[in-house]
Amino acid sequence: MTTDFAIETRGLSKHYRVGRRAIIALEGLTLSVARGEVFGLLGPNGAGKSTTIKLLLDLIKPTAGEALVFGRSPRDSEGRRTIGFLPENPAPYEYLTGEEFLSLAARLSGLSAAESKTRVGELLVRVGMAKASNIIIRRYSKGMVQRIALAWALVGKPSLLILDEPTSGLDVLGRQLVRELILEERQRGTTILFCSHIIPDVERLCDRVALLVGGKLIKQGQVSELLVSEGALMEATVESITLEALKALGLEARAAGSRVVVCFDPAKTQEVLTQMMGAGARVCELTPARYSLEQLFVDAVTHTGVEERP
Amino acid sequence: MRALFFIALNGFRESRRNRVTVVVGLFALLLVFFTTFSFELAVNTLDRAMTSVGIGFISLISEVLAIFLACGMLPREVERRTVFLVVSKPVSRTIFLVGRYLGNLATVLFVFSLMTGLFFLQFVVLRGTVTQAHLVALVGIVAEVVLLSAVGLLFSSFSSQFISVTTTVGLFFVGHMASDLYRLASASKAPAVKVVGLALYYLLPNLERLDFKLRATHSLPTPPGELGAALAYSGLYATLLVAVAAWIFERRDFR
Ligand SMILES: Nc1ncnc2c1ncn2[C@@H]1O[C@H](COP(=O)(O)OP(=O)(O)OP(=O)(O)O)[C@@H](O)[C@H]1O
Ligand SMILES: [Mg+2]
Repeated sequence: MTTDFAIETRGLSKHYRVGRRAIIALEGLTLSVARGEVFGLLGPNGAGKSTTIKLLLDLIKPTAGEALVFGRSPRDSEGRRTIGFLPENPAPYEYLTGEEFLSLAARLSGLSAAESKTRVGELLVRVGMAKASNIIIRRYSKGMVQRIALAWALVGKPSLLILDEPTSGLDVLGRQLVRELILEERQRGTTILFCSHIIPDVERLCDRVALLVGGKLIKQGQVSELLVSEGALMEATVESITLEALKALGLEARAAGSRVVVCFDPAKTQEVLTQMMGAGARVCELTPARYSLEQLFVDAVTHTGVEERP
Repeated sequence: MRALFFIALNGFRESRRNRVTVVVGLFALLLVFFTTFSFELAVNTLDRAMTSVGIGFISLISEVLAIFLACGMLPREVERRTVFLVVSKPVSRTIFLVGRYLGNLATVLFVFSLMTGLFFLQFVVLRGTVTQAHLVALVGIVAEVVLLSAVGLLFSSFSSQFISVTTTVGLFFVGHMASDLYRLASASKAPAVKVVGLALYYLLPNLERLDFKLRATHSLPTPPGELGAALAYSGLYATLLVAVAAWIFERRDFR
């Protein structure tokens, strides 16, 4: 209870042995997530995101290094009272109804029969599954399974939520629901660790992100920092001037339909605009072209050259 | 400990809704029910024939079900990764495993009780006499189910359904031929065969010790000491196996 961190890992590694070959799923991950933070794990397929999560929940044992969750070892099952976990492609008990399944979660989390009943009722409504609560899970669609599993994670009012691709399989409303839930939980002070391939979600929800590629931590930091530090540019869309004319002015320009887009250093905004307008251009739009997380992602993956993993 | 109860209860509920278990259960009841009709003519040997066949069926079905559940449920749960959900709650893997084991036993005992009830009902209606030997045989079947479920659990704690089933079925047969194994080993001239054979005899589960069916057929009483020893054997052996299963299960990766 003394630690400020919800999650700490030191040199965390996991190697799998498949036949004779050793697969390095995660190598020397050192990371900390502060209490109350929303932390995003990013990375291409096979980067080691799920591996990291499984190590935090003691589903697999580390080859080297250690992890602490609220200062406790993942092996300590009591420590999981404060954790809510949504695995990727969750597979709930097929022969239980949604309601029975959530009641099981509630009772396993230590709620009394009465508490469990109210909590389950509440959650069924929250994840939009109240109507299907008496149907066995075998008959659920993928998105319905995802929703009920999300409720499973939330049952014990966890102070740490670990979500492995929470929006996978969800429709537009479902995705919105997940975003709302994350924001709501964050408001309550819940720490959230999640991984997702949907970068706009990550950008919108996370305080900090870590980028994993090929089992290694490539970058981590505040979303805002990562975005600003990596070469911010200004973009102007102009018309009534040719690409060649702009290039002749020494500007970096590209055609965009009937118009032309010019990129330049924000510090030179005044200067560039005067120059272009002097040459007869009409400026239609001026936007700070933020370096998007997606671009960062693509750059990191291509630069490390570890891409092309199945 | 509450968690243990809920996991066991959940296992019981799940297998009750599983079509395979339901079919096995119904089939079992039908079999036991029809044993009566096969012997209606031979009135003077009715007791003996009914006991032999009826208890034989009860035993066979209970054991098949025990092996099916012990080897089927856990590996499937690990393979489908349902286990991720449960062990992400404040539940140790040992509690999970023991809960699963108790849930399986509850299911088998449920089917067993139905079969036994039906059997005695018919038996009494047809004026058979229930002897101590009948009860001992039934208790022996329970002891065997307890032990077999533990054997199955041990293998399913680390291997696939297929491997667990084949190994457990293998041990089931070896266990029922324990005395043959003993005789063969003792009579062998080669010292290596003798040592290995005897070691196997003492190490592998000896299911003959728990088998009192033949005595039931002939209404031969079993001394309480012998029954007590058999129960202690099955109880201790099963506990040991479950403990080893838990030890392995705690250390494995779920991947
Ligand atoms: N059970 C396993 N046996 C062998 N290798 C494994 C196993 N599980 C994962 N790996 C390997 O570990 C690496 C990391 O896998 P992981 O599941 O952590 O990726 P991920 O980042 O979650 O990817 P995705 O975005 O596709 O979910 C992969 O190269 C994968 O092949
Ligand atoms: Mg993954």
